[in-house]
Parts: sequence; C-alpha cells; structure tokens
Amino acid sequence: MRHKPDFKKQVRFFITLEFAFLMVFCITTAFSGNKINVKTGTLKINFLNTANGKPVVLKDSVYTNPSGEQYNITKLKYYISNISLPGNISLTDPDNYHLIDAARSTNFNIPVKEGKYKSIRFLIGVDSIRNCSGAQEGALDPVNDMFWTWNTGYVMFKMEGNSSSSFSNKKRIEYHIGGYRFGNNVATVINLDFDEKEIGGNNPVEIFIEMNLDKYWASVNNLKISETPVCTLPGDLAKKIAANFPALFSINSIK
Amino acid sequence: MKLRVSISLVFFIVLSFFLISASKDDGYGAYAPDPIDFKIPPGWPKPPRNIFTKNKLTEQGFQLGRKLFHDGNLSKDGNISCGSCHQQFAAFATYDHGLSHGVNNTFSTRNAPALFNLAWMKELHWDGAINHIEIQPLSPLTSANEMGEHLDTLIEKIKKDTAYQRMFKSAFGDKAITSQRILKALAQFTGSLVSANSKYDKMKRGEITFTPYEQRGYNLYKVNCASCHAEPLFTDYTFRNNGLSLDTVNDLGRYMITQDPADSFKFKVPSLRNIQVTFPYMHDGRIYSVPQVIDHYISKIDISQSSLDPLLKKRIPLNSQQKTDLTYFLYTLTDSSFLKNPRYGEGNSLQFRLQGSDH
Repeated sequence: MRHKPDFKKQVRFFITLEFAFLMVFCITTAFSGNKINVKTGTLKINFLNTANGKPVVLKDSVYTNPSGEQYNITKLKYYISNISLPGNISLTDPDNYHLIDAARSTNFNIPVKEGKYKSIRFLIGVDSIRNCSGAQEGALDPVNDMFWTWNTGYVMFKMEGNSSSSFSNKKRIEYHIGGYRFGNNVATVINLDFDEKEIGGNNPVEIFIEMNLDKYWASVNNLKISETPVCTLPGDLAKKIAANFPALFSINSIK
Repeated sequence: MKLRVSISLVFFIVLSFFLISASKDDGYGAYAPDPIDFKIPPGWPKPPRNIFTKNKLTEQGFQLGRKLFHDGNLSKDGNISCGSCHQQFAAFATYDHGLSHGVNNTFSTRNAPALFNLAWMKELHWDGAINHIEIQPLSPLTSANEMGEHLDTLIEKIKKDTAYQRMFKSAFGDKAITSQRILKALAQFTGSLVSANSKYDKMKRGEITFTPYEQRGYNLYKVNCASCHAEPLFTDYTFRNNGLSLDTVNDLGRYMITQDPADSFKFKVPSLRNIQVTFPYMHDGRIYSVPQVIDHYISKIDISQSSLDPLLKKRIPLNSQQKTDLTYFLYTLTDSSFLKNPRYGEGNSLQFRLQGSDH
C-alpha cells in the first residue's frame, strides 16, 4: 500500500522536473536572442512582378515594352536589402539580404517592433560594404548566380529573355545591372508610403509591393531593346537603367 | 501497468537527454581547431586589412585550403587544380608558360601571377578586379578557359568526399560544405603564403652580405625601380602602364574595371620577389627572361602611349654592366625556402624515405 502514493509522487516529480526544465530552456532561448524584451510582430513582404498589367510568367508569356518591342523573360532576380520602416528604429531584419527570384521565391518575413507604420524603405541591390567583405552566405552566396567573378560585385538586378528586336546572339536580352564602386553604384534606395497600419500582436501584416517592368523601359530614361539589348557591366548604361529603379516599385496592397 | 508508465517515463527522459547531447555530435569527434598566429616579417608594414579577422586562421582551415588548392577535382574535367597554374617551384606562377592552359584545350588570357604575400594585396588580378582574397578563386574556378566548373556542381563533388566532410568539420565545427567555407579555407592557404626569406632578406637581417655585383645592383634598383617596386614587398600594388607595345595583344587592363580611359593599358605592378622563377613576365607573359625585361625598360618602352607612367617617359638608361648588376640583385630575391617548403606543396601525409639512401 505504501509505494502507490510514492509512485504518484514520483511521476508528479518527474513531470514537474521536465516542465521546469522546459521552462528554463524556453526562457533562456527566448532571451539569448533578444537582450531587450521587445514585442515584435511579423511583416510578410510579397513582391508582385508585373508587365503589361499582368503577373510575370517566365518563358511563355510575351510582353511589349513602351517602345513597342516584344520580349519574353526567362530569368528575373533582384536583391532587396536593408529594409526599414521609418519612424521606428528598433526594427531588426536578421537576414537583411533577400533575393527575389521569379522562378523560386518572391516573399519573405521580417520581424518588426509592434507599432504603427506608414512607410517602408529598402535598397534594391546590395550595399557596397557587402560587396567588399569577402565570401558571403545565404542570399548573398555566389551559388545564387548573382555575383560577378571577373570583376567583384553583386548583380543587383538580373533580367534575361529573348526579343525579336535584339541584335545580340540568339536574339537574347540580358540585363545584369550592378556596380558598387563610387561613381558606378546602382544600389538604389526605394521609399514607399502607405496608409498607416498597425503591425504586431495578433495582427500579422502582409504587404504586396508591385514591381512593374513597364517602368523598367521608360520612366526617367527610355530604353530600347533594339539599341541596348545587353548590359552586363557596371558603368554608364547600368546607371542609366538603374535610374528607372525607383519608378519600378509601388505599394499594391496591405492586409 | 504503473511500473510500465514509470519505466517509459524514465526512458523518455533519458532518451531526451541523449538526443539533446547526440545532436551536437556527428560522429567526427570534437571540434578543436588549432589557431595559427599569422606572423608579419620583422620590418614589414601591417597588411592593409587583417584578412584573418573574419576568417580565423587555424591549422585545420589551412590544411583544408591546401587540399582544395591542389585538388584537380574542383575543375570541370577533373584535371586542373589551382596548383596546376600556380606551381610552387615557380612561386605559384605557371612555370615557362606565357599563358596557362584551361579545360578543353583553352588558354587563359593573362599570365598566371605568382602567389605570395597576398595578405598585403588589397586588390587581386592584374587589373585589380577582385577586391578580396576570399572571393578571388571564384574567377578561375568558374571561367570557361580556366577550371570551367559550375559552383553548385563543384560543391556537390566536394560534398561526396568523406575526407572533405571530416576536414570541413575539423576546420569549421560541422561538416556543412558551402561556397563560403570553401572560399575561406582557400584564403587561409593562399593568405598564409609568405615569402620573406630570400638572400636579400638575409642580407637585410645582417646574416649575410651581398657580393659587389649584387650590392651595385641593389643601389641601381633603389634609384631606378623602387618607386614602383617598393621594398619590402617589391611592389606598391598600384596600376601603371609600363609602355608595352600594343601590336600583339590589346588588353585594356585596369580600364575594364574602372571604365576610366586614363586607366587604359594599366596593370598592377607585380612584386619582384622570386622573379627568377616566375618567367615569363608581364601580364601576357610576352617577355621570357629578366635581362629582356630590363631591356624593355632601357630601350623598348613605347613612349607614345598617353597613359604611360610618367616615371617611364624617359625610359631607364642603363649600360650593360649596370644591367648585369641589376640582374644579379634581382636574383637575390629568390626565396628557395618558400619554393621548397613542403607545407605549401601538394603534399602527402605519408613521407617515404628509403633507409640508407641519404647522400
């Protein structure tokens, strides 16, 4: 008779011990990352790549640029980095560098301090520091094929395809827009405003940013496939194209 | 029944502890790298940046980098390693080849530069295209006329090799094989290649004296060469046009990187260290001997080129005795202890030595 209650006690003891152990484990894990206890929410950022008012479909769809030249797209990749939501300094994006690839992934999450926001700022491209810091990993891993091996630097924006207007070999169009050195830097800050939105708590917020390729060909500068079907070097042409970057992006919706 | 609950509870707890501890062990033993202290030779300047700050130099990382450097499997056809075109006995240049051979019977476009004292070199390649020692290998690894391999294929090949898995674990803490780790390991090897023990260095340290020829040559060097090939590295790592004729190869050099017309035909000033074994010379390997190089500066500089270095506008007038003296001096820059150091070679963990066959 005696060992029955003892056994119950024993089980209770083990369960309590396990529970305590888990508590300590969870608390230490939670605190090891954030020294200051800040309530964070999550912002999911989606990029909607469009051309001629339709979502970009690789390979098969044919689009027409403002100069009336037809083209298709086989590859569309660009870097988004250094994201911040102005008005709140405590935002931390642990990854900081994100590769948007129309063939793979066009969205990602970032942690955001709970609060109200009405604009987002990011860099299209990779800042010069990371262009000069040796071998990188994650989105910046050179296996992602966004890195020039013959002349150090990241390709910030890459679009490839074909166009009957192109004079290059196999009617290809290739735009590898990059350059980080002073005078040739094409990484461009994008600022987008939106109606004030509360982020945090039970309010997971999703933002949809449109990247409208029609503006790639014509906003600040006009670009014709028949004249410049290829740009694979840092320099004047890359800068001319990058001058159109701010017009590419707009807020589509937030929910 | 209750005993069973008790047993399974204990079993669960033991198992959970076991799993937590086991998750840290992949069967390759503990991670205990041996740090290496990168030594700056006495009297040398500090490197412009410490390449080992974010890439901690360890014996295990160095050995992994050495293996990768000498591994032909990194190339598309399995034959060409970094060491194929950077041979130790040629101070890690390509011996006797103006241009090097890549996969599929291709030629490189420029002469493979010697590799040593790279920790002091801020910009790599003849045109300074590469801004960090870690990412330099990406160019030869992937170029169609060098090793011609795709980076992802290369990583898959390395991943299949269990010896590499062990070495990545001992160098980096786990057996994950990524481009970053490959590049960091290679940088530990190439960044460790220091050549600072030539006859010249021994003279500087007071261990030996120069012959009269060598001393006269040294004096001539100080007057005529040192403004670009500055001591103790024997280069100032600037980009200059030394007036090579443009009739054979029109390589625009530094202009390709800066797009500045003033940089046309400029190339990085190479170090004169180990010059005796790094022939042929110049960015395209067009000159085959040291006396012929000196001849270029005496009489063959094309002074009509607008981007010619101002220091060379009047060429460098030397008589034949001075040319001989200068040649003797340049040969004092050969560092045979570097050229023969087994630590840098392709190596073999097993060293065979026949008993009684020593001299």
